[in-house]
Amino acid sequence: MTPEELNDLAGEYVLGTLAAEQRLHVQQRLEHDAPLRAAVEAWEQRLLPLTELAEPVAPSPYLWRRIERSLGHHAVGDTPPVPWWNLLALWRGLAGAGLLASLVLASLLLTRPAAINPTAYVVVLTAPQSQAPGWVIQASNDQQIQLIPLGVMQIPADKALEFWTKGDDWQGPVSLGLVKPGQSLSIPLDKLPPLAPNQLFEMTLEGPNGSPTGKPTGPIQAIGRAVKVI
Amino acid sequence: MPEPLFDYEACLLACARGEQQALRQLYEQDCARLLGVAKRIARDTALAEDIVHEAFINIWNGAGGFDPRRGSARGWVYSVTRHLALNVMRKKGREVALSDEHEQTLAADPSTEHFEYRARSGKVYQCLEHLEPSRRSCILHAYVDGLSHSEIAQKLGTPLGTVKAWIKRSLAALRECMA
Repeated sequence: MTPEELNDLAGEYVLGTLAAEQRLHVQQRLEHDAPLRAAVEAWEQRLLPLTELAEPVAPSPYLWRRIERSLGHHAVGDTPPVPWWNLLALWRGLAGAGLLASLVLASLLLTRPAAINPTAYVVVLTAPQSQAPGWVIQASNDQQIQLIPLGVMQIPADKALEFWTKGDDWQGPVSLGLVKPGQSLSIPLDKLPPLAPNQLFEMTLEGPNGSPTGKPTGPIQAIGRAVKVI
Repeated sequence: MPEPLFDYEACLLACARGEQQALRQLYEQDCARLLGVAKRIARDTALAEDIVHEAFINIWNGAGGFDPRRGSARGWVYSVTRHLALNVMRKKGREVALSDEHEQTLAADPSTEHFEYRARSGKVYQCLEHLEPSRRSCILHAYVDGLSHSEIAQKLGTPLGTVKAWIKRSLAALRECMA
């Protein structure tokens, strides 16, 4: 190829009049053909001012975002998204939550030791004469007791069982209400002094509406004292 | 007019270093002009945006291979965009144009016989002024509108062989004039 032919080819390439195959051919040659490259670059410089004849066209607002997305760039001016393991707020929050949880657990540990032991007190209520066990009372803390029947006690139809308790230093027994034979009950003790060792529990036979005096009047059906579980 | 304040070479060097802000600055500086160049050739705004999109990706990826001793940085940016547009149009044209001889018989559009342009300052414009108007139109339709030989022949109502010869001689005359 003479220098003249090389120049013609470069000129037509830059001008844009080469067919697709010829364009491809030139573009492949440009990779390694220095004289052709120099001729093309000279033509690019010569004709470049003609680009001014094309009126500028305002790009759509999406074009730049598209370019950024294609290049995998983050939006310029925005802070790049922080991976989760670098989120300060996340770790601050987790550290705060962890500290709070340990404080709550520590305070539970210090203020509610009884809660650790599932059963703090046990009472076995037995019949006074036969010593047959009729009920068991479990207390996992000193504010609440569970009354568990061991059998169905037989009582006259026109009578009711009334449940009582009395601490060692109390003036007298306090009613915990009526209990049906065979009934399982959970009874709060929050109105009473905390459950204490040796506290007396008993059931008496009373009228259908309970003791008329507020104190036990009928025969004792079952009786037992609280024992602290070690 | 080229913006003398914008340092294209420094911009490309920054792009080569991976500075995304540099590409953004180039976009703000030249995107509308590059899109104008692409749209004149592609004759469709959406297609032109596709071309400019690809051009910016090529500029970003090719900035490291740009050698300032071989030409201006600004020229390279425009060349990348123009040649992408020309590649697209030539590939399209190959599918559409059945025969050059067919097209030359089609009626010319007399209203666009000559390329409408006003001469600007610059050596290439002075040299274009020396060309006969029809030949000047050939060069401008090719460079600015991206028309092929046969499209120019059709547009000017001139035989294809004549257009090819005019372009060849006009390029030689331009090169001599600008030397």
